Amino acid sequence: MISDPFAATEHNRVASGLSRRHRTGKIWQAIFFSATVIGLVALVALLWTVLDKSFSYVAIEYKVDPATLSSKPLQELTNAELVNLLEANLSKNRFRTLDRKQTLTERTHADLLTLIYDNIVEPRALASYSMSQWIASSQEIRAEVAEKYPDAKLEFRAWINGDFLIDPLSGDPLLVGVRTALMGSLFLILITIAVAFPVGVGSAIYLEEYADKNKWYNRIIQTNIDNLAGVPSIVYGILGLAIFVRTLAPLTSGALFGNADANGRTILSAGLTMALLILPVLIINSQEAIRAVPNSLRQASYGLGATKWQTIWNHVLPQALPGILTGTILAVSRAIGETAPLIIVGAATFITSDPTGPFSKFTALPIQIYNWTTRPQEVYRNIAAAGILVLLISLLTLNAAAILLRNRFSRQHA
Amino acid sequence: MPRDTLTRQIHHLLDEVLLLGSMVEQATLSAVDILRQRDLKAAATLYENDQLINDKRFAIENAILILIATQQPMAHDLRLLAATLEIITELERMGDYAKGIAKVTLQLKDADINIPNRDLERMASQAVNMLHRGLSAFVNEDPNEASAIAGEDAVVDDLYNHIYHHLVETMIANPATIDQYNQVMWVAHNLERMADRVTNICERTVFIATGDMLEMDTTDDEESDGE
Amino acid sequence: MTTQTNENNIIIQANDLSIYYGSFRAVKNVNLGIQRNKITAIIGPSGCGKSTVLRAFNRMNDFVQSAHNDGKILFHGQDIYAPEVDPVQVRQMIGMVFQKPNPFPKSIYENIAWGARINGYKGNMDELVENTLQAAALWDEVKDNLKKSALALSGGQQQRLCIARALAVKPEIILMDEPCSALDPIATLKIEDLMRELSVKYSIIIVTHNMQQAARASDLTAFFTMDEDRAGLMVEYGETSQIFTRPKDKRTEDYITGRFG
Ligand SMILES: Nc1ncnc2c1ncn2[C@@H]1O[C@H](COP(=O)(O)OP(=O)(O)O)[C@@H](O)[C@H]1O
Ligand SMILES: [Mg+2]
Repeated sequence: MISDPFAATEHNRVASGLSRRHRTGKIWQAIFFSATVIGLVALVALLWTVLDKSFSYVAIEYKVDPATLSSKPLQELTNAELVNLLEANLSKNRFRTLDRKQTLTERTHADLLTLIYDNIVEPRALASYSMSQWIASSQEIRAEVAEKYPDAKLEFRAWINGDFLIDPLSGDPLLVGVRTALMGSLFLILITIAVAFPVGVGSAIYLEEYADKNKWYNRIIQTNIDNLAGVPSIVYGILGLAIFVRTLAPLTSGALFGNADANGRTILSAGLTMALLILPVLIINSQEAIRAVPNSLRQASYGLGATKWQTIWNHVLPQALPGILTGTILAVSRAIGETAPLIIVGAATFITSDPTGPFSKFTALPIQIYNWTTRPQEVYRNIAAAGILVLLISLLTLNAAAILLRNRFSRQHA
Repeated sequence: MPRDTLTRQIHHLLDEVLLLGSMVEQATLSAVDILRQRDLKAAATLYENDQLINDKRFAIENAILILIATQQPMAHDLRLLAATLEIITELERMGDYAKGIAKVTLQLKDADINIPNRDLERMASQAVNMLHRGLSAFVNEDPNEASAIAGEDAVVDDLYNHIYHHLVETMIANPATIDQYNQVMWVAHNLERMADRVTNICERTVFIATGDMLEMDTTDDEESDGE
Repeated sequence: MTTQTNENNIIIQANDLSIYYGSFRAVKNVNLGIQRNKITAIIGPSGCGKSTVLRAFNRMNDFVQSAHNDGKILFHGQDIYAPEVDPVQVRQMIGMVFQKPNPFPKSIYENIAWGARINGYKGNMDELVENTLQAAALWDEVKDNLKKSALALSGGQQQRLCIARALAVKPEIILMDEPCSALDPIATLKIEDLMRELSVKYSIIIVTHNMQQAARASDLTAFFTMDEDRAGLMVEYGETSQIFTRPKDKRTEDYITGRFG
């Protein structure tokens, strides 16, 4: 065998290409790997800048230094002591006004602290240095602050904190919270999902299960939907402004329901606009999911004498639901981050009252973030970063919830 | 065309059947010749050599079973293989007839009787001729030729009747030789049965070709064989 | 055995049936009478329209938008394509088992109960499930975990479940389109045995490209082939024993001896 020259050449032929093929394989692998790495690096860089800005050293100037107010730290004082502090440091009139709003002795500890800060301490943020800046050059920063703002104190501050989540919007950067915007966003998404999900899934069912694809009108509908998915969001904003805010104002403002003094720039208009925006993507994704349901399942159902609707409701939809949910998550994630159409439809940039219903004025997280980033003061960068974190976290939470939901469905139906 | 393997193996099988057939033809002609010469040694050899025919038959049978199991023949192929199984059985029985004739030779030894050698040889050559052409018709799947050959069975039957009457008369005239002439009678009988079996082969040939089973044998087929 | 031509024994009859996909004639001029309580095999080369004919028997072709028929299919003498006939009803009476086992992604129990439920079955469901599983020779294998997902069964078990599922709707005819082509030989033989048992109560039509299977499992065999215009046609129909030993038509002979094309 070994001496067989033919066998030897055959062997060479078999072996000769191997190293070359391995080399080519390695190159491709490296290319794909670097693509992944680039993506990862971009993501890490993004997260880093956001996180870096969310924690910073702030130069704060107090009208009255809290340390001089009491021998103990303010947090450790009892409610009664806090009320005393207020009484001691405020004018009689001011104190009475506050007491009339809500009896001071009945207020919570946190409330009282806020009052003290707002009315007595009155901190002002003069400059802010991000974590990385601080770590790199804390000495220089100290020197600079001491020179420029002799009255200021340099304090560490985590911009993303509990107060930030539960405080309403405020004109004071040190007191500002994101609750109003967060609630606005949640309300908005709720309306968007409530409208877009049934309409989108319904359209997908029609297009996939009922429509005769050879009919010209069905083809036109399909082509339109495919193209609408690529239309810039601002166009939807204009559409929403024209239809929901203006034309349907009696409905969207709540005038029909006795909401007299309102206009159409409500959370309902915005939600409907967002629904319109994500509808094409949602329909396309749902169509994909429905199309992915194997035909053999439909045949099995029909073969048992099931009607079309029985087949769709009992077999196609349950099977397609995980896919539909995934598509919805993607679409809704897009909606959460949208700014342009909201601005056009008329989200307020400064509003301190939470939305209470579909006819409320509203603001939303991305609007606020955008708004903060346009402010000149340095501290607003930090607030924007914290806002971005909140946005990211709510997005992740939403996705996680949807994924859990989807997994429960796939387990049930697999 | 698909099924080349099956086709090739069937051809090979048919060659083997022809070989078995020629062994039988040879044995039959020799048996009658040996009887005429009363060559006891040759008769003994012939008697022994029947085993070769049996072996060949079993080899072919085995090959057919393998073909059926592995190739799953249908319709014509299936009929051909089933018929071939039958035909090799017939051939093996014909071999037994030749062996029977050799046995008669051995038993007669040199008994002084008057054997109608010429008539027996005519019978033998007629039967062998029928067998030879019958196998050709089988291999060629020629139902017309097969039917014609089956018709020639009558010639052998006539010869048999002729010998039969002759021997009966001889035995009546000379009762002391009944035993020996009875032996001779078996020789004629075997040759007659052989021709019958050729008829069976012809029936199978028609079956292979047309799928129809025709009864061509004019004599009673169920009659037991004497060996 | 002789071919029974008794008219009363015909349960479903195709008369001059031609089936078109758009303008393409897939099957032409089929005249085929299916006998009650017999297993009828339809064999023939790929693309000769076996499945097409089978699907025409329970109006599954309705789901192919381009498909339409000429001629008639009479079920108990009633044209099943007549405008007043409800195809859903037809499919309840003429069940179908498909090439690839396609149980619903639900429990074994639900697989069987669902069809009965949507067809308005009001009796004891547990009993029905047990009976049909028993009829499909699957009961002993699954009786302890009826709540298990049907997808966890083996291919052969899944196919028997699909048969049981069809039985639960109480059909008269069961159509099977290459029901064993995705199964291993043992599972195949089990299905064939099952078909034999079922033929006492049901009439079965099986499309198969496995001639041995047709030969083993059927009472009657219809051989289809294609014309030059690619339209399928029925060449020969008769007792299986005759078709596989003495086919009358040269084309049948060539096909079943494997000397086709
Ligand atoms: N849904 C369909 N649309 C168009 N043509 C089809 C369709 N189904 C089958 N055909 C055509 O009809 C012919 C017969 O197909 P089919 O009945 O599946 O054959 P078989 O089952 O015998 O293999 C083939 O030429 C096939 O291409
Ligand atoms: Mg098919």
